[in-house]
Parts: sequence; C-alpha cells; structure tokens
Amino acid sequence: MSVRTQSLLWVAQRASAAVLALCVVVHLATMVYAVRGGLTAAEILARTQGSHAWLAFYSLFVLAIVVHVPIGLRAVLEEGLKWRGASRDIALLAFAAVIAWAGMRAVLGVFL
Amino acid sequence: MLDVVTYIQRVLDPTLAYRFACRVGMCGSCAMTVNGVARWTCRTHVDRVVKNDQMEVAPLRNLPVIRDLVTDMREFFDKWAKAKGRFEGKRTRNDDFARVAPESGGRKLVEAGIECIGCAVCYSACDVVAARPDYLGPAALNRAWTLVKDERDAMSMDRLRAVAGDAGCHSCHTHMSCTEHCPKGISPTAGIAGLKREIARAVLRGRL
Repeated sequence: MSVRTQSLLWVAQRASAAVLALCVVVHLATMVYAVRGGLTAAEILARTQGSHAWLAFYSLFVLAIVVHVPIGLRAVLEEGLKWRGASRDIALLAFAAVIAWAGMRAVLGVFL
Repeated sequence: MLDVVTYIQRVLDPTLAYRFACRVGMCGSCAMTVNGVARWTCRTHVDRVVKNDQMEVAPLRNLPVIRDLVTDMREFFDKWAKAKGRFEGKRTRNDDFARVAPESGGRKLVEAGIECIGCAVCYSACDVVAARPDYLGPAALNRAWTLVKDERDAMSMDRLRAVAGDAGCHSCHTHMSCTEHCPKGISPTAGIAGLKREIARAVLRGRL
C-alpha cells in the first residue's frame, strides 16, 4: 500500500471520528429520551418507519463506523498480532463489508 | 547517576561497559534506564530516582544491547536518515545569508524542537517503537518537523513523503511518553501532530 493511501486512510479515520462524535451524542440522547419517555417498540417504529431523516442519520452513522473501525483495527492487528500486508487489508475489507451489511440491515429494519 | 556507574566501573567491577562523553547534558551519550525509566544519567541526581534505597540501572529499551549498559544506536540514527533528517538549502554559497525572523511562526515551531541532543530517551520510552520496530520514532520525526518548518529548506515534500504512513508519523498513538521523558523538555508529540497536519493538507491537495 502506498504512503499516499496510508495517509488518506489516516485522514479518513480522523474525519469519520469527527462524524462519530456527533452521531454518538445524538444516538445516546435519542436512546435516553426513548427509554426515559417510556416509548414502546411500536411507538418508536411509528417514528422511524418512513422517516427519511432517521434513515439518513443512521446511514451516516453506519458509514462512519464502516470507515473508522477497520482502519483502527489495521493498527491493532499489526501492533498486537504482527499481522501486516495484503492479507490483513483484504480481511479488513471483508470485515468492513460485514459491518456495513449488518448496520444497514438494522437501519432498514426500523425504516421499512 | 553517571558518577555511581563510574564508581562501579572503577572500584567494584572494571569489566562494566557503559557510554558517556560530555558529562554536562550536551552530548546525549549517557542515557540509560534507571528504575525502569529512560534518563540522561549525567544530569540525574540519585536522590531523585532512588526507590526504597534501591536502584536498578539497565540499558535503553528498544535498542539492541552490545554489552552491559551499551546499546547499539545504529538503527536509531539510521531512522533519522530515513526521515530525511538533514538540511538541504535552496541557496548557494554565492547567495546572501537567509534572514529568518526569530518571531515568525515557523521559526518559533523550529525553536521548540531544535535542541534535541539525540540521546534516544524518547525512542526508548516509546511504546509504538516497541510494538512496531520499523516505526521511525519520536526523535527522527521531531527532527523532520524542525526541517519541514525551516523556511530555508528545499526538501519539504520529499521529507513529508518519507515520514508519512504506517512506519512514520501516522503510527503515533499520542501516548506522549517521549514528551514526558525528554530531558531537554522537547515535545516530539507536538511535532508529530504537526507532521500529520502538513501531510493531510498535502495529500488532500494532491501534492503527496
């Protein structure tokens, strides 16, 4: 992997961290509101189903996670397990695809 | 501390190998691990580091040991070369002196990092070096940073390329052990953060 790509990965991880900082705050505030307000599952679904605003927000959240986590794991795998090179990066691309699929499945589960 | 080691070698065990030169905190030769912490021994008072009337003196971490307290510094200085830690000016001997305003922003940043004596205390204290042996380390990156901010230097983009990526500044986890232990009070962490910013700018503008 070229130095340019490695540098871009760092920029992507910083940018996704900034997005995550916002998303996590909004997500936690929403969870606290839903639980404290005593909303039922049906009432929550009534708010999320068909709401393009929630769809956009949680899709952005998932995207930020998909970018951020594998880049962080790249360093963890190298420094913790001494796993480097193309095999690690391909495994992480596959992992990114899995969390993208699982995350979007959850998002669509409350939108559709 | 250095006096203690010298006493041991002169009186108790003449076979003890250790390294020193200036004895006044200028040359960076006498760094060792004292009670688990990397220090310059010539400027370290025993009463500041002794614990329970005991002291353990060991060679620097993260460097191969040649013998006793003497480490092989080659990889430490080879990494300075890899980080393009040499000045390359734009002017020739026929040009006038460059005039750099001491109060300019760039010069102040250079000033903050320029007094490195190459003792390798930061390199020894760095956990990233321990985890990733090809990491250039705090001293080499700090040196690169002082050259990147030197307005007379002509090698900025090549140097940024040399210090970017997995073996370079992007592996720093900002643990700040280098800053904590630097005997000269330099903050390599700040320089490394500066390199990350410069590289981000360069890569987003397509110059890297």
